[in-house]
Amino acid sequence: MPTASSTYLVAHEVSYAYPRRRGRDAVVPAVSGVSLAVARGSFTGLLGPNGCGKTTLLKLMAGVLRPAAGAITLEGRALADMPRRTAARHVAVVPQDTHPAFDYTALEIVLMGRHPHLRPTQLEGPADLAIAHQSLEATGTLQLAQRPFTSLSGGERQRVVIASALAQQPDVLLLDEPTASLDLGYQLEVASLLRRLSREHDVTMVMATHDLNLAASMCDALAMLRDGRLLGYGPTEEALTSATVRQLYDVEADVQFHQASGHLTVTPVRRAG
Amino acid sequence: MIADGTAHTALRAPQAAARPIRARLALTVAGFGVLTIAACLLAPLVGSTPISLRRALDTAIPFASNVDAQILFIARLPRVLAGALVGAALASAGVVFQALLRNPLATPFTLGVSAGASLGAMLVIILGGTIAVGPWSPVPAASLAGAGLAAAIVYALANGPRRVMSTTVLLLAGVTLNAFFSALIVFVQYLADFAEVARAARWLMGDLDVGGFDPIVAALPLVVAAGLIFARLPAALNLMGVDPDSASARGVDVASTQRWAFFSASLATSAAVALAGPIGFIGIVVPHLVRLLVGVDHRIVLPASALFGATFLVLCDLLARTLMAPVEIPVGVVTAIIGGPFFLWLLVREG
Amino acid sequence: MAARTRRLIAVLLVAALAAVACRGAEPPGPARAQRIVSLVPAVTEMLFAVGAGPQVVGVSSYDHFPPEVESLPKVGALIDPDTERILSLRPDLVVVYGSQSDVEVRFKKAGIPTFNYRHGATDAILGTLDTITALGAATGHEAQAREVVVRITTGLDTVRQRVAGLDRPRTLLVIGRQPGTLQSVYAAGGSGFMNEVLEVAGGQNVFEDVKRESIQPSSETLLRRAPDVLLELRATEPAGNYPGGDLEVWNALASVPAVRDRKVHSIVGEHVVVAGPRLAQGAEAIARVLHPAAFK
Repeated sequence: MPTASSTYLVAHEVSYAYPRRRGRDAVVPAVSGVSLAVARGSFTGLLGPNGCGKTTLLKLMAGVLRPAAGAITLEGRALADMPRRTAARHVAVVPQDTHPAFDYTALEIVLMGRHPHLRPTQLEGPADLAIAHQSLEATGTLQLAQRPFTSLSGGERQRVVIASALAQQPDVLLLDEPTASLDLGYQLEVASLLRRLSREHDVTMVMATHDLNLAASMCDALAMLRDGRLLGYGPTEEALTSATVRQLYDVEADVQFHQASGHLTVTPVRRAG
Repeated sequence: MIADGTAHTALRAPQAAARPIRARLALTVAGFGVLTIAACLLAPLVGSTPISLRRALDTAIPFASNVDAQILFIARLPRVLAGALVGAALASAGVVFQALLRNPLATPFTLGVSAGASLGAMLVIILGGTIAVGPWSPVPAASLAGAGLAAAIVYALANGPRRVMSTTVLLLAGVTLNAFFSALIVFVQYLADFAEVARAARWLMGDLDVGGFDPIVAALPLVVAAGLIFARLPAALNLMGVDPDSASARGVDVASTQRWAFFSASLATSAAVALAGPIGFIGIVVPHLVRLLVGVDHRIVLPASALFGATFLVLCDLLARTLMAPVEIPVGVVTAIIGGPFFLWLLVREG
Repeated sequence: MAARTRRLIAVLLVAALAAVACRGAEPPGPARAQRIVSLVPAVTEMLFAVGAGPQVVGVSSYDHFPPEVESLPKVGALIDPDTERILSLRPDLVVVYGSQSDVEVRFKKAGIPTFNYRHGATDAILGTLDTITALGAATGHEAQAREVVVRITTGLDTVRQRVAGLDRPRTLLVIGRQPGTLQSVYAAGGSGFMNEVLEVAGGQNVFEDVKRESIQPSSETLLRRAPDVLLELRATEPAGNYPGGDLEVWNALASVPAVRDRKVHSIVGEHVVVAGPRLAQGAEAIARVLHPAAFK
């Protein structure tokens, strides 16, 4: 349960708007006045319809975008004040899908996660190689190390990308729709991996997703965004109700605790009026 | 520790490619370096006319009357050095452009730098310009200016309101400029007198017989400058080659890397084309061959391509001047004859 | 046969005859061409030399000699002949290059006779004289053409006599080069009129054995061939200020006897590069450089 004493990654009233091309209308903010305190070791879900700002918020939390107003802090230090490399040692990002332009092997991709820990022209050493192997092992992909990334299945690829993020030895892992482009089987595979990593490796996770059931199965806490604003934030059992689903998606849904899976499930019924 | 059912099998022994990168880099540079040095040492000894090395190095004979020495040092050595310089420049520029455009089929000539260089050269050859710029004689100087202009136009077009360059816009701008300049080149040739047309056409085929060390010395600082910038790019290019957003998240300044990559690769290409005319296929054949041998890590591919590019062009020039002696085949034709089928084979293999 | 069938055969026969007549018809050549358009500068010179100057109504874009041509309409040349312009001049004879077969066809269709100029690789000088004679016949100036031919032949013989018995220096004839550098050197090969003129002038082409009209030797080849004399031939002065005519670039090839003995010369003028009426003057100019003593 997030409390003031265990806050870790905090967004303080952050706002951001994407620069518009010349001649267009006034900018519409992608994120506006969002405050969010993520507890250490928690698994937080960012929910909301497309365009609600969850990807933008994730990028702000990664330090890729600078907030136009407000700040993102990690253990009290402002992310914007840190050099990107330093920030990258604490925060890692797992994108939705990865399409390399060249035929890198899985190991090469995982080793790139070491980049923030190396000096600009430094090459990886045996220690880095060991960390990369451990990351591959943690995601069950060590046997794929020499395989070209492009020859792997969807699930294997995501697991390698997660390993790559783990190789950064981050304190926080930010995931942008990590299972959206995967088949059901691979979705379960990656989901169970993430749950395990969260529990066993003390990595704080923030996951943006539009899959309510996935969020219900994995997250301790949920933050709900709509039109760039935070509608609500709290533990999953409290945050995920039919009322909040209606608020978020304009959909009447049935939210029930599902015995067999052990978590809440959301069943959409009809569009709300 | 692995609890989701994956069997914890014995680790497969890491293959050669898993060797630490430091070792691989050292090995690769040493290996290709030896080839380059060997090529540069042996190529001047071979040519359309036999020379005696002993006689050439005989210091008792005054240089001005020692034909063998003259052939070795005035006719052949500059050619070999020019070949090494141009080959290294074009091959490494090819690698960087391929990374910048996220496309293994890109070449140093894709973005129009070479077309600009050619147009500059054409104008001087045909209009008879005589303004030398420092150590650069008129045609190479104009060629450099044309290349710079083309690069500047593409850069200006590709730099949008967002800091990061769009590879699509870059490609479109470059291809359009290429077509436009090529049309101008044809037009300028059309206006020309016979003698100039012949010379212009000859220049477009590429010529490493640059006529002495001066042109090489003039081009060297540009290529070295480009090389120094190249040295700082590969790690960033790797990360960008996987995913630009992730690269950004890991501390790579993507926009800055793009600018430096564009600038340095254009600089190397401009110097190479100004020196010896547009010699095609090196910028695509060499990087691909190198990748087949050493993998795709840019930290290894870039230096290896520079070295192998030098070797490749020196050897192509050797063939060009000996295959049909005393008639010389333009070196661009030799690289095309070797490169063309190879390129087709690559495409068939990918597809 | 039925009347209808007979009529049909008659129609077919007429049609066939007409087709043959149209395709095979050669336009009747004029006894004396009165309105000549010349796309070949050498031929333009010849036309004026045989006295047919007044009959010339259009010249190529590269024509500069004799001075009268400056006032005549320009109609393009080898690559870009302006057919419309030529036709608008209502010519009764058009001089074209042997390789301009497509242009020839066009004029044939328009019923205009063409004079085909072929640049000979063997017996080029004789070919030039033959061309002059033929032009004389085509323009009604046979007598004058004969005079020109005699003049040229005499001139060439004079040169031959002056240099007879003298040593023939191994000569490199440079007909093109990138100014200011040693790149793109074009040299006269062992066949063609340049080679023949050189022989008349008492020189031996260093590329005598290469049976081509022009060659592009590399620096290595030049060093190996080691000519005793180096002659650069140019139609006009190169633009720009190269003190000394930018010949000092040759100093890079120090072992070449011509460079060593300071026998690198340049001759400027169309008479040395055009296979036309001024052939003999060209030969003499070259001979004077190769054998200065014989012309004191």
